[in-house]
Amino acid sequence: MTSQQIPTRSSPNTPVKLVRTFPRFTVSQRWEHAILLLSIAILLLTGLPQKYNTSTWSQAIISTPERLYIIQQIHHITALLLTALVLYHLGKVIYQIARRKLPGDMLPTLQDVKDAWNMLLYLLFIKKQKPAFGKYNFEQKVTYWFLFFSIGIMIISGYVMWFPEAITRVLPGGVIPGAIMAHSTEAIATTIFIILWHFYHVHLERLNLSIFSGWLNEDDMHTYHSLEYNRLLAKSPPDQDPGEMKS
Amino acid sequence: MRSGRRHLIIFLIGAILICSLSVILLVTNVIAAPIGRVSNSISPEHASLALTDTGPIVSNETCLGCHGQPGLTMTLQNGDILDLYVDPATYAASIHGHGGYACVQCHTNLGDYPHPAFTASNLRDVTLQLTSVCDRCHSGEYNLTMDSVHATAQAAGKREAAVCTDCHGSHNVQQLTDPVTHELLPEARLSIPATCAKCHNAIYEKYRTSVHGAALTEESNTNVPTCIDCHGVHNIGNPTTAAFRLKSPELCASCHTNPELMDKYGISTDVLNTYVADFHGTTVTLFEKQSPDAQTNKPGGYDCHGIHDISRVDDPKTGIDMQQNLLARCKVCHPDATSNFPNAWMSHYIPSPEHYSLVYYVNLFYKFFIPLVLGFMVALVGLDVGHSVYVKSRRGRHLPQPLPSEGQSHLESESPTQSQTEHNVELKTSPSETGEQDDPSENHSEEANHE
Repeated sequence: MTSQQIPTRSSPNTPVKLVRTFPRFTVSQRWEHAILLLSIAILLLTGLPQKYNTSTWSQAIISTPERLYIIQQIHHITALLLTALVLYHLGKVIYQIARRKLPGDMLPTLQDVKDAWNMLLYLLFIKKQKPAFGKYNFEQKVTYWFLFFSIGIMIISGYVMWFPEAITRVLPGGVIPGAIMAHSTEAIATTIFIILWHFYHVHLERLNLSIFSGWLNEDDMHTYHSLEYNRLLAKSPPDQDPGEMKS
Repeated sequence: MRSGRRHLIIFLIGAILICSLSVILLVTNVIAAPIGRVSNSISPEHASLALTDTGPIVSNETCLGCHGQPGLTMTLQNGDILDLYVDPATYAASIHGHGGYACVQCHTNLGDYPHPAFTASNLRDVTLQLTSVCDRCHSGEYNLTMDSVHATAQAAGKREAAVCTDCHGSHNVQQLTDPVTHELLPEARLSIPATCAKCHNAIYEKYRTSVHGAALTEESNTNVPTCIDCHGVHNIGNPTTAAFRLKSPELCASCHTNPELMDKYGISTDVLNTYVADFHGTTVTLFEKQSPDAQTNKPGGYDCHGIHDISRVDDPKTGIDMQQNLLARCKVCHPDATSNFPNAWMSHYIPSPEHYSLVYYVNLFYKFFIPLVLGFMVALVGLDVGHSVYVKSRRGRHLPQPLPSEGQSHLESESPTQSQTEHNVELKTSPSETGEQDDPSENHSEEANHE
């Protein structure tokens, strides 16, 4: 735990307030998220005009073969960046498993299903208490694992489309149109998911920038991650090492 | 009074002027129309007066007095021998002969005898000079030919490029369209490829062996396309341009999406939409719309099926239904393609459990997956929004002046009933975090009781 002095908005008698912050993400995880954000944004911006090629807004962008070629090149280069990121992430996880240092906070458990159910009951006013969450709540785990699998599908189907001659040396030809169908539809599912689910939870429900700053203040910590908060408080001296899994 | 009368006079004069002007214009229009546009409606007698250059019309018998004699020839400057004989029977059987047109209506400068000096230096010159006379009655068609590749070639000095008489003949010119419907007569359709073959024989030989050409030449099937159905008639365009290539799928589709025509042969009419839906067709269609002159490396209909040598897809030697034949086509653009590769193209099939089941099931999966995921997310997010709005409104009612340091983050963690008591506590104490630190443990213990 670290302490920061930040001015509070409106407390005339106490101009400064002591706010404890909790480290949440490592520098590596923050960079991973930034690159992921950047590459997904570029991939969507260059991919969606190709998918919706019959619409006018798309045709304004890809009006000539030269432009289409440039857009495809950008898409391919960004795809390589994303692939490198995924390999780095997987490599890190494998390394941590091998050294038995994987924090495991992000792994789905039965408790998450219970949490989701209790959350639903709470939202339906059947239960009066919100479930208490650990380091990552079930919503954050859903975000991670949904994107994990959808990026997996996107990468595999993307390379199948990119190298059809090589792929059909070992696989039947039908996988190519299958990959095209999967790639373009999964992209829509992912876009909807990010906008509706992820943006809601990190921007609208509350502004959560911990993935960029690396820390979470005490207020948010005990409101949204009370189990983790209690665990950290119970430890003395408090653990400085945050988990290695990314959100 | 006076000025009123003067105005009336000016008005009357003006009206008379406008009336007479419009009458003159109308009359001249009526006279001009049949000559210029409606070529079929010129009656020989009426037209003759307007069309001959040299005085009264000379009867065909007068001309045939000399030109009906076989063997009448003339040697041109380069030594070419021009046959001046006209077979009266041939002319009588032609459409102009039927209509009773006079020789001098085309040969407008030959009404006098002796004829004026003939300036053509060779046989081709004769044709090129005389063909310009078609414009006098058939200016619509004549102007169309001016936009054709043949006219472009002529302008570039290729004197052998086709002009009117090369295709239609001269003294033997025939009726090609139905006089009422203006549609091409079946026998005219049958003769078209042979007409084009006079110059384009190598292409004709290919066409003759194609599925279309064989049906036309061997079975006299007039449903199949002849040369002009793809290339046009008088304004034949250049078929080697990028624009023609990008437009070619639509060309094929003009017949192949017509169920009336295709049902006779049991051919699918889904060929265009399946082509457009697949990767090659998508790109070609896009550029056809956006930049029609763009060069694209994506295949159009004829890159796979052939151009003039289009064969049945189940033809064992050339049909692309046969994998090895299709692979050969694929390899033109994809040199590394192997035997599995042609299947990457869905062969105009719409994915179904039988054909391209993988694509079908992937599509089916997402048809359920996306609404399901979307529905869950909308439900949870919607409930969350509703819940926090409700809690906020409850809290607002019980506490008209909320504490300034009260963050939004607290709202969702507390139930409405609890919040009321809690705020009473908070009002007494300072708005610090100490009072609330017990909360999570409370929540947790209550949670544990529920489990």
